[in-house]
Amino acid sequence: MPSRSDLRSYYAEGAQLAPVVHQHTDWPYEVSHTRYTAFTIPPHDVGGQADGPVRYEEKEEEQWELNTYVTCEVLGWRGVWNSEERRRLGNNDLGQSLYYGFPYYGRWIWAAARMLVDKKHVSLTELLEKIAEVKARNVQQ
Amino acid sequence: MSSNSPVNPRARFNVGDRVRVKELPNLFYSRTQMFVRGVHGTIAARTYEDVVPEDEAWDRQDAVPEQYYIVRFRQKDLWEEYPFDKDTLQTEFPDRWLDPVNN
Repeated sequence: MPSRSDLRSYYAEGAQLAPVVHQHTDWPYEVSHTRYTAFTIPPHDVGGQADGPVRYEEKEEEQWELNTYVTCEVLGWRGVWNSEERRRLGNNDLGQSLYYGFPYYGRWIWAAARMLVDKKHVSLTELLEKIAEVKARNVQQ
Repeated sequence: MSSNSPVNPRARFNVGDRVRVKELPNLFYSRTQMFVRGVHGTIAARTYEDVVPEDEAWDRQDAVPEQYYIVRFRQKDLWEEYPFDKDTLQTEFPDRWLDPVNN
């Protein structure tokens, strides 16, 4: 169980991740056409949106990124998912906050896990218990 | 989908044809960028036949392949403030996302 202060920090951080429309919004009764259209743009359709300069960095893949890549490709080769399902899940279904907030391969592994649960290859409880088990093992080391 | 059959996929256009990208609503998933919708362009190439993203993204086994095309747009038609007249942008669509333009 997280400590009460950890819990408070998760909520505080989560509130910071809410999509920002620069007006307080919580289940409004009316949504303008413009806002509805903006909401329904698939998160990966970023072409044409305003953005600032991005710092260019050369970075080698880390081991977890390579493991993620191989896992996702093998799931593809075995016919468990196709490339368009991967894009839908990892670039769209995770929502804007995670699309912008996760590392690239973080989105890949999120998508793979979501797909395995969606297609009933693993149950959510099974997945959560495995994550908890691995996390506990790493804490011990 | 009912008008399609595997032996006669949708393939209405040829290189040089003028087309307009359909203006369908966005919901759940799309590979058709917002900024090309409703814009006129020219078929630059016929590429391959494949199922559309809207079907493949849910792994629909009943999906029928159709023709894909590379369509060329004038940058100035996409972005009014674009400074160079001759620059173009190419992107790709399946047949159903395009309407013929007669001119």
